[in-house]
Amino acid sequence: MKNKILIIEDNENERLLYKEELEKEGYEVLTASSGKEGLSFIEKEKLDIIILDLRMPEMDGLEVLGKILSKRKNLPVIIYTSYSQYRNNFLSWAADAYIIKSSDMVELKNKIREILRDKKNGL
Amino acid sequence: MDYKKVTTFILAGGKGERLYPLTKDRAKPAVPFGGTYRIIDFSLSNAVNSGFKRIYILTQYKSFSLQRHIREGWNILSRELGEFIEVVPAQQRISEDWYLGTADAIFQNLYILEREKPEYVLILSGDHVYKMDYTKMLNFHIQKNADLTISVFEVNKEEASRFGVLKVDNEYRVIDFVEKPQIPFTLPENPSISLISMGIYIFNTEILVKRLIEDAKKIDSSHDFGKDVIPSMIKRDRVFAYRFIEEDKRESRYWRDIGTIEAYYSANMELLEIDPILNLYDENWPIMTYKPQSPPAKIVFLGRNIEILNSLISDGCIISGSSIYNSVISPSVKIEKGSEIFDSIIMNNVYIGENCKIKRTIIDKNVIIPDNSVIGYNIEEDKKKFFVTETGIVVIPRESFV
Repeated sequence: MKNKILIIEDNENERLLYKEELEKEGYEVLTASSGKEGLSFIEKEKLDIIILDLRMPEMDGLEVLGKILSKRKNLPVIIYTSYSQYRNNFLSWAADAYIIKSSDMVELKNKIREILRDKKNGL
Repeated sequence: MDYKKVTTFILAGGKGERLYPLTKDRAKPAVPFGGTYRIIDFSLSNAVNSGFKRIYILTQYKSFSLQRHIREGWNILSRELGEFIEVVPAQQRISEDWYLGTADAIFQNLYILEREKPEYVLILSGDHVYKMDYTKMLNFHIQKNADLTISVFEVNKEEASRFGVLKVDNEYRVIDFVEKPQIPFTLPENPSISLISMGIYIFNTEILVKRLIEDAKKIDSSHDFGKDVIPSMIKRDRVFAYRFIEEDKRESRYWRDIGTIEAYYSANMELLEIDPILNLYDENWPIMTYKPQSPPAKIVFLGRNIEILNSLISDGCIISGSSIYNSVISPSVKIEKGSEIFDSIIMNNVYIGENCKIKRTIIDKNVIIPDNSVIGYNIEEDKKKFFVTETGIVVIPRESFV
């Protein structure tokens, strides 16, 4: 069975790009354009990883992260953002990884593999 | 030491079910104590007297009475100087639940720590009665280069099972911690004495945040400092026990967890001793509270067979020809002639009519006791009308009809 990834990202172009790239990697990819929509997926889908943007209108990524934590405590979350300054924000420490957006997405893909491998090995 | 580097949290969210019916309409820390105080006044006074004046009080259940007390009585700090006491209700910014445990209460308020970015976090409980200078504990914490310091109280081994009990080495580094153990650890040098946690913690902020996040992600955690977070830290972090030093500098040390009606009752009664262990008269360590403007206590018609002994009588009371023994009388209580009060706690604005006999009874605020009432003499009769504890203390809830 394919691993299922949810992307929460308000920018439509980026959302489509990530979806395409990650589908090529062999994952099943769901997308949400806002924190609120993303949270509704968490309740009904069995997800393996969430890719989370931080700067979004209405509910920002850190708030979404807090809510994810209270709904599904051990669901891995990767913060994927253009901004490094949130690294010092305590709530961002609750994410499993904090990755700065890059055009080739290599770091993100590697991290996803690593998390899924750890999960499979029960770490 | 710049005390602005310390942020203090007072946990005031417990339901206080074992203090029912005193907690029927108020959170436990807001329960009146010692005539003119509320229980939370002790932790607050300690923090302010210690110079730790950046204080957040975390509330959830029935917080109105507590909020009002803080607003009316504790408006004494200066925002301009970076000092404040803020009452923070559960805001559901992170989770949509009420606080699940003591650790969750801090975790849910992570955004406060984010804004404050203090070096140290002092965590206190709002329902303990004691006097303590937290700067000494902080100095110990720094000197030990600790990640977490837990203030401890020495009790006889037999009494320790109700608490979190610590095992320490000779340096007072904590090597084990068990909540409510059947067989408590004892001191290395004295097998009859156990160290119990007073629920007072100083954390380095970064380690606190990391451990809270870890705990928040654990499925089987009860999100409690004593049950979950502290045990998970002992093997890998520097956790130390600080032996509580009381501000009265006496041999006997005073710390009471006001968890039950019995504990509440006896802590009040202890204030009536000729030289109580808890000294409320120390000008260097004042216990502050809210006091309404009211005239002095007045005692009239004292005469034959009428006595007032071993009692605290607060402002605004009028005692007209009645006898009072071993009792705590809160402000604005009126007691009419011929009545006798023994071993009781009477809260604000209670009216006791003529020729009443009251013994071992706690009467909450605004209750009217009609003439000729007899309470506390026949437990079976009292049980039909009032709340009576296992040891026979009668409790009459606020504003109830008698």
